[in-house]
Amino acid sequence: MPALRGSLTYARFFVEGEPPDDFREKYMRAIRLRALRPLEPDDEALESSGWCKVGEPFELELGYEDVFFNEYLNLGLRTDRWVIPGPLLRRKLREAETAALAKKGRERLGRKEKAELKEMVSRKLRRDLVPAMRAADLSWSLEEGIVRFFSLSPRTTATMIDVFQRTFGVKLVPEAPYTLAERLGLGKAEQAAWESLEPTLLGTVEA
Amino acid sequence: MQLLDRIEKRRFVGREFLLWLWFESEMFEGTLSTAEHGAFGLWIEKSFTLSAGKETTRIKGAYPAGSREAKEALLRGKLPEACGLHISWRDQETSFTLKAEQMAFAGLRLPTVLGKDEDEAPKLLDEPGKAPPRKKRGPKKSDDESDEAHEAFYERMHLTRDVEGLVEALYRDFLGLRLGSAGATWSDVVLPALHAWSRGEAKQDADAYREASRAALGGRKPPRAARRAAGSRG
Repeated sequence: MPALRGSLTYARFFVEGEPPDDFREKYMRAIRLRALRPLEPDDEALESSGWCKVGEPFELELGYEDVFFNEYLNLGLRTDRWVIPGPLLRRKLREAETAALAKKGRERLGRKEKAELKEMVSRKLRRDLVPAMRAADLSWSLEEGIVRFFSLSPRTTATMIDVFQRTFGVKLVPEAPYTLAERLGLGKAEQAAWESLEPTLLGTVEA
Repeated sequence: MQLLDRIEKRRFVGREFLLWLWFESEMFEGTLSTAEHGAFGLWIEKSFTLSAGKETTRIKGAYPAGSREAKEALLRGKLPEACGLHISWRDQETSFTLKAEQMAFAGLRLPTVLGKDEDEAPKLLDEPGKAPPRKKRGPKKSDDESDEAHEAFYERMHLTRDVEGLVEALYRDFLGLRLGSAGATWSDVVLPALHAWSRGEAKQDADAYREASRAALGGRKPPRAARRAAGSRG
């Protein structure tokens, strides 16, 4: 989901904690440390997430001017994942099992042998495939202490919160009716009414 | 209680906020106002989703909230979950879908001026059988292009914050009514009008409702965010 063009779809998060005095240098180092590391077929990991340039998921070498837009810190979050089509994996696995049985002169393979064979076949297939990629932009308004994340996917959001908190060492609180009310500020009497608020029922709730 | 529990327990307030927007936009024939923004146009368009538990009603159309299905769903206990909103403010038109429980924005279209050509899909993409034009590969973007991209981004964020500010001002007014006078404003002023409106009873007295609800909001201070913004401008 892009931040720089087209219509915007996003959720807001509030940053708990202030950036340190020399945050630009510190954050730049932390961002480079958590920039996306593309997956290699022989890696143990099947999924990798990390930062890329905002709007440009293939730009992984991030410079200062790529990230800081005056009072905004902009990044892309890219996630690569190996996705091997099920029918292809099953067919290749069957072929490999047949070959292994013929070579060993046996009728069945043990569970451990099957698992090793599956790992070997998967690794071999990964060499011929390209990881599936998804990317979503993020814009941190340092002045407001608000992060706008341009995706509403729960899975992508969970990944973003994890990578963000590990990179910047601050906590993100998701926007919701509750947090927005708190942020806008309630008076003392309103706060008391807020604490005991019950839903309004206009019609008959369906069973 | 943990923060996340408190967030979960108050998600219904976002649905009630959308209900109130629906009610007020019909009551005032698509013209709402806030103390900070003055009068502006606001109405529901394109899509409207109401739900209760696993039961969901999705309505699409030019004015989905005006359909009989919408009121029937409301009377069956469903509340708005998401709605397409159109806002007309300061000669600018904006539309987006507001998701009640996350207060999240989807498909927000901004009246941008900068970077306009990039926002528009190339026409050839719409013509079947023709491949889209290939982009020339070249060196990295020049400084001028980078500056333009930054400027376009600032414009988008400025407009986004304007829209957010307007929605927040409306939400603040809603909270003022929902929580004012220990809940009495809601139960004595808003709820009777909401009940009559939801049942389609004889046309409401919009002026009387406006007077009573605005009087209830009258003594309230402007929201903290607006005070901060006013302070920074001054």
